[in-house]
Amino acid sequence: MIGQTQKPLEEILGYLQGKEKVVLVGCGGCATVFHTGGEPEVKEMADTLSKHGKNILATVAPPFGEFTCYAPWSKERLSKYRQEIKECDAILMLSCGDGLQVVRELIIEEEFGLQKPIYPATNPIGHMGGGPSLFKEKCQQCGECELGRLAGICPFTQCPKGFLNGPCGGVTKDGKCEVDPERDCAWVMIYERLKAFGEFDRLREMREPKDWSKMQRPRKIEVAPLSLE
Amino acid sequence: MKTESNLERVLESGNFAVTAELGPPKSADPEVVKRKARLIKGYADAFNVTDGQTAVVRMASWAACLIQKGEGLEPVVQMTCRDRNRIALQMDVLGAAALGMNNVLCLSGDHMSFGNHPEAKGVYDIDSVQFVKIVKDMRDEKKFQCGEEMKVEPRLFIGAAANPFAAPFEYRPYRLAEKVAAGADFIQTQMVYNVPKFREYMSKVSGMGLDEKVYILAGVGPIKSLGAARYMAANVPGMDVPDKIVDRMKKTPKEKRADEGIKICTEIIQQMREIPGINGVHIMAIEWEEAVPKIVEGAGLDLERNLT
Repeated sequence: MIGQTQKPLEEILGYLQGKEKVVLVGCGGCATVFHTGGEPEVKEMADTLSKHGKNILATVAPPFGEFTCYAPWSKERLSKYRQEIKECDAILMLSCGDGLQVVRELIIEEEFGLQKPIYPATNPIGHMGGGPSLFKEKCQQCGECELGRLAGICPFTQCPKGFLNGPCGGVTKDGKCEVDPERDCAWVMIYERLKAFGEFDRLREMREPKDWSKMQRPRKIEVAPLSLE
Repeated sequence: MKTESNLERVLESGNFAVTAELGPPKSADPEVVKRKARLIKGYADAFNVTDGQTAVVRMASWAACLIQKGEGLEPVVQMTCRDRNRIALQMDVLGAAALGMNNVLCLSGDHMSFGNHPEAKGVYDIDSVQFVKIVKDMRDEKKFQCGEEMKVEPRLFIGAAANPFAAPFEYRPYRLAEKVAAGADFIQTQMVYNVPKFREYMSKVSGMGLDEKVYILAGVGPIKSLGAARYMAANVPGMDVPDKIVDRMKKTPKEKRADEGIKICTEIIQQMREIPGINGVHIMAIEWEEAVPKIVEGAGLDLERNLT
């Protein structure tokens, strides 16, 4: 999931300065889980913006499970609000940056043929898993998963220096990371796990510099469309 | 001899080597480097210049090394992976060698969050083990990391760091083994204050035969005050300062603590000389370069071979 927090209201009001008619679009995916763009948050934002003199033409809050970043779904949902989107001065997205840009590019521009100002109401802070309350960043989608060689722990993500060949010299006495003493050192965890599996020798293989070109942005992929019938 | 390094020459000859650290200024003033160079000239076989230590912006290591070289010192250029990707690191390796540098210390580098630009983006394209291997391949295979060949290779004596004290303690000799396998010629360790623990580490290192493959210089450093002792004991991850050293500083009258710190350092050097597999010491007198001559003289290290 895409972890996210809500932007300060002042920033949102700043974007909407001079825009009177606003359409709000939430997300039934991550933004619902992180309470930044689910049904309650979209409603609350509509109330807040109304109090600040905005005319809310529509509030679009997809049900849980309906991801706004999945274009076929948001296309279907937003088609019902085509008129409001046509009339509005601005769209406020209570979703991550993927949701915003999918809606802007594939729906507003390509599907509806409109040019509309569109603004974010959230700050995405990373791809993370966990829940229901605590979420942690574990993977940065490097394009070449090393977990098979590293005891199921990703040092690119868990180690602030992204080391591939063992821990740095800043591990604290109790095995914590010097950058964040609340967190266990990724390499201490890798070491302990490999030792427990009797695979310590794996740690002694020198790992070559990583092929970061697989993370060259922006990446894209084409797949067979998913059948939702 | 792999290089024209004075440090390599001293180590090859079997003499107990001394290196010392020089911190470059937070300014463009070459006089600071020259003044420090004159203070410690003749008191070590080679002189490291730190590369943005603690992630604070200071004069580039290679530049301060060049100034120091002009003063007749043998520099060890420190390079970290924090600020440069593999392209920039290899460029600086070529540049440093072209400027007549003979030694490089390959480091990962202190994290940005400790420095004066905590909002900076860290690079860490490669790690220190990989960096050692890259410099080794540049020198011995005349190859860049990508595999392309070069005509004139950088003839650098390759150093790496080791911290015997950071957790997990029992893994640390294997971490050293990785750096040795990658091609390190010499090692400079974290500052040693816990001598028994360091002996235990070294006995494992020797048991693995690593001391036959690499020159190991034990890091030492004088403690200037009680506050410094307490700070290092409590707040510097990966440092092991035993209580008895803090107590000894505490029992010393305030005005004599700096001298006591130097004395402790010389005593530790004496103990390092007795440890099998230790080929020298690396003196880190942080922002206290004046202490280096006193330490070297106090420890009775004969450096006549080196006076240039």
